[in-house]
Amino acid sequence: MKNHWLCGRSSHLLLLIFVFILPLTYAMPGLSQTTASAENEGVLMKNPGAELWRNVRQRDSASVGISQVRSVDSGVLINPHADRWARFRVNYLIEYGLMTLVAIASLILLFYLARGKVRIEGGLCGKMVHRFNDYERISHWVLAIVFLFLAVTGLTLLLGRPLLIPLLGHKVFSILASASKESHNLFGPVFLVSLVMMLVAFVKRNIYARGDLTWLLKGGGMIGKTHVSGGFFNMGEKSWYWLVILVGLVISVSGLILVTPNLGQGRVVMELSHVVHVVAAIVLIGFSFGHIYLATAGTEGTGEGMKSGYVDIKWAQAHHDRWAAECHQQDLVISAEDYAKLQGKTNSTRDASSSADMQEAK
Amino acid sequence: MMADFIDGPLWYFSLAVFSIGVIWRLTPLIFSKHPGDLSVPRESALAGAIRTVFSRSIPDRGSLSRVSLQIVAGYMFHLGLFAVLFFAAPHVLFLHEQWLGFGWTPLPHWAFILASQFAFLGLLMLWLHRVVNPVSRLISTTGDHVGTILTFVVMLSGCLALLQGFNELRLLHRFCVELFLIYFPFSKLMHTFTFIPSRAFTGAWFGRRGVRS
Repeated sequence: MKNHWLCGRSSHLLLLIFVFILPLTYAMPGLSQTTASAENEGVLMKNPGAELWRNVRQRDSASVGISQVRSVDSGVLINPHADRWARFRVNYLIEYGLMTLVAIASLILLFYLARGKVRIEGGLCGKMVHRFNDYERISHWVLAIVFLFLAVTGLTLLLGRPLLIPLLGHKVFSILASASKESHNLFGPVFLVSLVMMLVAFVKRNIYARGDLTWLLKGGGMIGKTHVSGGFFNMGEKSWYWLVILVGLVISVSGLILVTPNLGQGRVVMELSHVVHVVAAIVLIGFSFGHIYLATAGTEGTGEGMKSGYVDIKWAQAHHDRWAAECHQQDLVISAEDYAKLQGKTNSTRDASSSADMQEAK
Repeated sequence: MMADFIDGPLWYFSLAVFSIGVIWRLTPLIFSKHPGDLSVPRESALAGAIRTVFSRSIPDRGSLSRVSLQIVAGYMFHLGLFAVLFFAAPHVLFLHEQWLGFGWTPLPHWAFILASQFAFLGLLMLWLHRVVNPVSRLISTTGDHVGTILTFVVMLSGCLALLQGFNELRLLHRFCVELFLIYFPFSKLMHTFTFIPSRAFTGAWFGRRGVRS
């Protein structure tokens, strides 16, 4: 009985071994073959979707397919350049753009702290000479207002994510970004019109002439203490004018390409336009810091020209001596009293005379 | 809370102030009694009135060169504002659904944008002329500047809300419109309603005497 039990048990064990091991003996050669080939050739069974998605993704370059939609780039399913553009925008445009503007503002501040306001030697005398007419000043201020508005809204869109979202939160920023985008697009063409107004108003007097290079080499009088001769506009003002016109045109054209996406330009043109638009805008905003500084805190008496249209004759002699000499020759210099009358600033005189008249009547 | 106030009580209050104020300002102009003119009319007063309403819109040749900027900017602003006010798609829809029960074909989006750009540029130039020109600056009052700024803010807030994606921006625009409506009857903005009767009165007066105006 015992032997029979053992025999029975042994037979069951053998059966189990046979059932489990036998398939392994068939599988082993295949297993060993697969491992070997994996080492030598990689996975033989390719993911059938990999090829498809590689083509869809177009990592190497954009390949144009066939589409029922008839428009520019409609055959391109995914634009691989967009990734590069997006990375460039986030990693370079935003970062370096912000750094550039902060650096320029800091340099101007440092310069102001070191040099202070450039005063007119002996002070202003009060005798005035007419410099800009109404149309010229209106052109300037239209351009300035529109430019500042576009700069603020444009920088909100460019720098909003890293700077404003942490301050305002997503909800408020999304409202601000929407408002900025709509108004930026609306006022963009107005900037182009104001640029043309500016071109018409000032082009004649901004042609470079002899003596301008000397002005540049002496840093416009900022370097050293020697006086630099200048005409109606000096080299710095002329260069700023042409920078505004030319860079402004670049900004306007690239902006119009961006704001009218259905005119036939492709995505790559749009991406390039965006980069050009931002870089040119950063350049112009940076230079405008300098312009605003010189017209306000930088030099004494400069801002008056665009405020009232008149400048002090001593300011003219200090910065535009050749033009000041012409004004003297043509007898264009007016007294402080005449200037006050022209500006309607004679209220006290008028009040005094009217009260005197009343006393006489009594 | 704030939204309900702007869309509700403040809206109706501003409309009431605007309506009553305009009627209050116009009534004396229309119904005031003038001493009758007993002279024999040389020409038709009516013809003079109609002629002057239009002739005053044509710039005077003698002074055209000196006022060309104001003329161009004035037309740009007023025509642009008229187009935006009555032919912008959101405005037409608002009037259709809220007030009139009927609408009309609005401007296409590009034309609306162009009209608002004209209006903005015109208004900006007009206001700058007011500030920059010494004579205009002297004859301008605080009310003139407030009226200009309010008009500008109403237009700007409308353009900020162009996307129509955020209720907050719509409310901002509506709030600005409400301030504008409340200020309107007490200011020179009333010229919207008075410029035609004013021109007609002058034209009739001169026309009756056979004088071109």
